[in-house]
Amino acid sequence: MADPYETLGVAKTATEDEIRAAYRKLAKQYHPDLNPGKPEAEERFKAISTAYDLLSDPQKRARFDRGEIDATGQETRPQYSAAQEREFYRRYADQAGRTKYRSEDAFAPEDLEDIFSAFGSGGFGGGQGFGGRGFRARGADARYLLTVDFLDAAKGATKRLTLPDGKTLDVNIPAGLKDGQILRLKGQGMPGLGENAPAGDALIEVRVTPHPVFRREGDKNIVVEAPVTLQEAVQGGKIEVPTIEGPVFVTVPPYSQNGARLRLRGRGIAGGDQFVELKVVLPSGEEPELVEFLKTWQPRHPQEPRKGMKP
Amino acid sequence: MTGIDDVLALFRDLEPAELTIWIESGWVQPERVAGGWVFHEIDVARVRLIYDLRREFETPEETVPMVLSLLDQVYELRCTLAAVMGVIKDQPPEIQAAVRAAIKGPRET
Repeated sequence: MADPYETLGVAKTATEDEIRAAYRKLAKQYHPDLNPGKPEAEERFKAISTAYDLLSDPQKRARFDRGEIDATGQETRPQYSAAQEREFYRRYADQAGRTKYRSEDAFAPEDLEDIFSAFGSGGFGGGQGFGGRGFRARGADARYLLTVDFLDAAKGATKRLTLPDGKTLDVNIPAGLKDGQILRLKGQGMPGLGENAPAGDALIEVRVTPHPVFRREGDKNIVVEAPVTLQEAVQGGKIEVPTIEGPVFVTVPPYSQNGARLRLRGRGIAGGDQFVELKVVLPSGEEPELVEFLKTWQPRHPQEPRKGMKP
Repeated sequence: MTGIDDVLALFRDLEPAELTIWIESGWVQPERVAGGWVFHEIDVARVRLIYDLRREFETPEETVPMVLSLLDQVYELRCTLAAVMGVIKDQPPEIQAAVRAAIKGPRET
């Protein structure tokens, strides 16, 4: 068994990256499936794989360097799906019989005529009829980015996406779409290779822009912060708050606390709820009457709001 | 019978989702049976080939169809040529010689 460093053509001091790069380069060159009809390629590829199995494993490499194991690295199974045991694709593809990875009519009489006419004209230059026949591959997926307003994402909408090649794609935004979600449009990607090959899909990553008023909570709920005056919080009353479908009136119960949440059933996304979070706003200007009143005010239910903070 | 799980077990880092994409893309064409797929030897070998392209050679996903297409064309061409050679071998010696001369001829000039 040859010295693995020699097989890969690297120095004994080579780094892991250098070994990997050397392996890649040689493996691409000698992969048996890329070299039909060259039996020596398989031998070479096996040697390269074996050498790489050994040198890519720091422990095995160290043991080999110390002379503890030989170049075959016997004792342990190679990590990489054993080149030693596998059957290469070319064994099946290169046999005289047809396989499904080619078209059924690949060996049509016309092909033979093409070949003979090519012989007759002194070379294969004029030969046609092989190109791409029989191979069908679905086209690649194309990836796009689409930015959508909060309200469009919440309520659903149709957005027109202009593609790099000038074509447009109408993207149906389902109600409740979330930031970062990816929409797949079947068959709107790159065209397939070969006759009747299906096109790839368009994968559209959606970015949802935040809204100044609405906030998502979970899949279907929406939270809106509603400032209320001291009077509204204490006395209660009706206030107008926005929902994604337009403003509605909400009843604030008397003695509502700061941060209290009022639920508006069904006003969220796709049957979810909207929560109105009350934010009590104290008077911003001077209110001497209020101060005067508070001085003399004796609460009927004395409070100890910081009770839980006592050590 | 080789099912999709048996194939996945051959690779230490191949997820069902990725293999499914290979199947959906037509890169590998196992036989469709009720409740799943049956991989024949050639399909397993092809999965190994695609695995090598993707993992060992870091071939980008969008380049794989091109590589496979070129490979399929090479194998197809080799099969056709093998058939032609078979036909030529069955011809009388003088025709064989004529064909050989016709193929070699232009190259030598």
